[in-house]
Amino acid sequence: MANPFRKYIVNKLVWYVIAFFVAITLNFFLPRLIPGNPVDVLVSQFLRSGGTGAGANKIYQAFIAQFGLEKPILVQFGTYVLNIFRGNLGQSFSLYPARVTTLIGQALPWTLALQLPAIIIGWILGNMLGALAAYKRGVFDRTLFVSSLAMSSIPYYAFAIILLYLFAVVIPIFPAGGGYSFGVTPSLSLHFIGDALTHYTLPFLSLILIAIGGQAVGMRSMAIYELGSDYVNYSTGLGVREERILAFVFRNAMLPQVSGLALSLGTLVGGALITEIVFSYPGIGTLLFNAITANDYPLIQGVTLLIIVGVLLANFLVDIAYGYIDPRIRTARMGER
Amino acid sequence: MRRPHGLLWVAVGALFLLLPVLSWAGGTKEQNGAMTAPGGLPRNETVYTGGFQWGPPTNFNPLSGNPAWPTGGDGSMGGNGVGFIYETLFMFNILDGSYAPLLGKSMEWTKPDQLTVTLQPGAMWQDGQPLTAKDVAFTFDLGKRFSLSYSPMWDYVSKVTAVNDHTVQIDLSKVNQGAVAQYVATIYILPEHIWSKIADQGQQALLAETNFAPVGSGPYKLKTYSPQQVVLEQASSYWGSSLYGMPTPKYVAHPIFKSNDDGNLALKQGDLDWSQQFVPNVWTIPNVKTWYDHKPYYVPGSIPMLVINTQKPGLNNPLVRRALAYSINYPLIAQTAMSEYSIPAKSSLIIPTGYESKYYDQSNVDKYGWSYDPAKATDILQNQLHATKGSDGVYVLPDGTKLSFTIQTPYGWTDWMAACQVVSQSAKAVGIDISTRFPQAPEDISDVQTGNFDMGVFYVAGVGPASPWLRFQNIMDSRGVPPEGKTAFWDYGRFSDPAVAPLLDKAAASTTENQKKEYLGELDKLFMQQVPAIPLMYRPLVFYEFNTTHWTGFPTDSNPTAPPLFYISDLWHLQPK
Repeated sequence: MANPFRKYIVNKLVWYVIAFFVAITLNFFLPRLIPGNPVDVLVSQFLRSGGTGAGANKIYQAFIAQFGLEKPILVQFGTYVLNIFRGNLGQSFSLYPARVTTLIGQALPWTLALQLPAIIIGWILGNMLGALAAYKRGVFDRTLFVSSLAMSSIPYYAFAIILLYLFAVVIPIFPAGGGYSFGVTPSLSLHFIGDALTHYTLPFLSLILIAIGGQAVGMRSMAIYELGSDYVNYSTGLGVREERILAFVFRNAMLPQVSGLALSLGTLVGGALITEIVFSYPGIGTLLFNAITANDYPLIQGVTLLIIVGVLLANFLVDIAYGYIDPRIRTARMGER
Repeated sequence: MRRPHGLLWVAVGALFLLLPVLSWAGGTKEQNGAMTAPGGLPRNETVYTGGFQWGPPTNFNPLSGNPAWPTGGDGSMGGNGVGFIYETLFMFNILDGSYAPLLGKSMEWTKPDQLTVTLQPGAMWQDGQPLTAKDVAFTFDLGKRFSLSYSPMWDYVSKVTAVNDHTVQIDLSKVNQGAVAQYVATIYILPEHIWSKIADQGQQALLAETNFAPVGSGPYKLKTYSPQQVVLEQASSYWGSSLYGMPTPKYVAHPIFKSNDDGNLALKQGDLDWSQQFVPNVWTIPNVKTWYDHKPYYVPGSIPMLVINTQKPGLNNPLVRRALAYSINYPLIAQTAMSEYSIPAKSSLIIPTGYESKYYDQSNVDKYGWSYDPAKATDILQNQLHATKGSDGVYVLPDGTKLSFTIQTPYGWTDWMAACQVVSQSAKAVGIDISTRFPQAPEDISDVQTGNFDMGVFYVAGVGPASPWLRFQNIMDSRGVPPEGKTAFWDYGRFSDPAVAPLLDKAAASTTENQKKEYLGELDKLFMQQVPAIPLMYRPLVFYEFNTTHWTGFPTDSNPTAPPLFYISDLWHLQPK
């Protein structure tokens, strides 16, 4: 049993490695297709602070050399790939000389703190609600279905703006943006945590409510499908206890939900980009957005590399988990041999 | 069926309620980014300033491409933070053209091509080492050894020597006293005993140096920095305290806002004392004052310029450019784009007020210049160009060229975007079709520099010792300008005229004011006849506004103890309320 399973994993692994290399190649070339030059941002800052044309020329030359942009593109690509395997993501252009790893390290905790609870709690609550609705049916089911459908149809960024407008502008209960108030230095004090939580509430709610909606709809459909299947009718006819049947039903219905969760977790690193921008939240999304507007190649590459790794890893783990949980998949693979 | 998840419901419900409760328990209530508890700095000993730093501070190295406040603007007018941590030799006053002493005591042109600078006695670094002419020569030499923002100084200078501990001698290779004086007044002097080691490692190391513990000669040291603010603290001793006195505030803090709106809100609420930001309708805000207490409120320091690509068919005809110049509604631009902070732009490249006023010739402008006059524009189009108006209202030249162009400026630079829109509307009213384009900043800069544009609003040199000569050089000097497709750093419109170069050189080499005025007048006349660019409005070098709620004594027009630039001298006479 172990050998065919190992073959299954190895087979998957090879494809993932190929996907990884394709991804990092695109990762390198795509940002360079954006018109404009990373050094031009530095030049514009210089001009804005009163500098003159001749000085801008010097800055331009100096930083083209500093960033290695005058080397042939394939040499730059080679250096980039080698550095990835050394763990060196380089230094940001627009925030020179800050290291990309440092910048990502500063922004990542904010994104994780925002997304992880929202995704996981949203998943748990959504699935519970969906399963409950499928089981109870009637009025509860109808109201839940309609409201969940509505929630999941609203684009998450539109919902973010609506929440911001309602609860930060019209009724100013929550702050309009930022990770924490000005003048407050990040520390592990109650003051700071409380302050951070005030800023956390609206973005968190904007994500979790939509997650709940989406999961509820999905789970409800799966549960209804399972509840109407042959083995349920047969077991009920045989007199099997309800709890036992439901245990099987929900286990089967969960399968796609589990893969959905894994994929959400994999892409969470990309950040709910627009949510973060709407709330000026200092996470990965804002970091990536600023990097793109400044043509900051190393930073763009660093963040997208993180996303690539996250997505591929999540997909890979889901494939493994599926192969393990669902015997049909394993046997199907073996049947092909 | 059992409901085990009943408990779960309670738990989840509690979580949802807990969030807001926790946040109100500990957090400080605040609205829209304004500051309340400012991290523990005593309010009556802290001056909050803003508008210079918009991103997280990544280095305090004046030589890098993006130094954080207050180490930025090295070698340029409008430099932010002159005299806080690092000091320059002098502080140029854009109103009267005088050089206030700082590290330098006096400077004299001993010969037309030799400048002698005498340093103040007793100058010292914050680590106790003496500051001598050797440090000055070293700092200037860095521009020769490496590619730095002030390296162009060496286009005019052949040698900088430390004659003795207190005297620096600068020998020119090409006489251009204004340009050299500009560099002398704006370069931050660096300690040789710290920077020579870094410089010896090469250009890469020099530019990559983060300098998070800067050792300067000024009265302030760096206390803390974070992505949210930069805080300076008074040093224990300052060599210039007997000469200039210690600046009053013990702390100077610069909060880093995400946008103009956050900063303007803080200014309104008194959380910012001294701000460099575009604030619409500043005269309506209580307690907020500007340099002038009447229009235009701010001192003109630069001219956002409509640069025209003179190689483009249609725009290559000076008459077309002149017609365009007559059609633009300058009063409307001053009113809307600049929120009344500018008088309507005159057609000269010389700013009519302040330091440049002594070169400004109104009769020259009246004779050769233009003003907002759509009738005159139509007259030029129809009678001098013999263009015919098409059925869509757009003129077509006799050779078939349709007068249809684009104007561009970076997206997000709202006052310039507004100016572009006024230009577009004004031109449309006369029969020239101009559509607006707002690409991202890097793309726009690249377009303008490579000549890949029709018209664009862009920077030219502001007021300084080298102006207005430098402005003429920026717009009209075709020497050193590569053809379209390659990056240029001045004369983006690729304008060229053989009369320009000799006039520029003569103006640069003039040693008397009268001579200079004469040559600049000739250049201005040529400019107004050929119209390679159009001045759209006047903009201050830096927006100088302050809130009197916590501090009084900021210099103003009625109390001009220092110029409306953010020099250290603005803090010498402050008093807390």
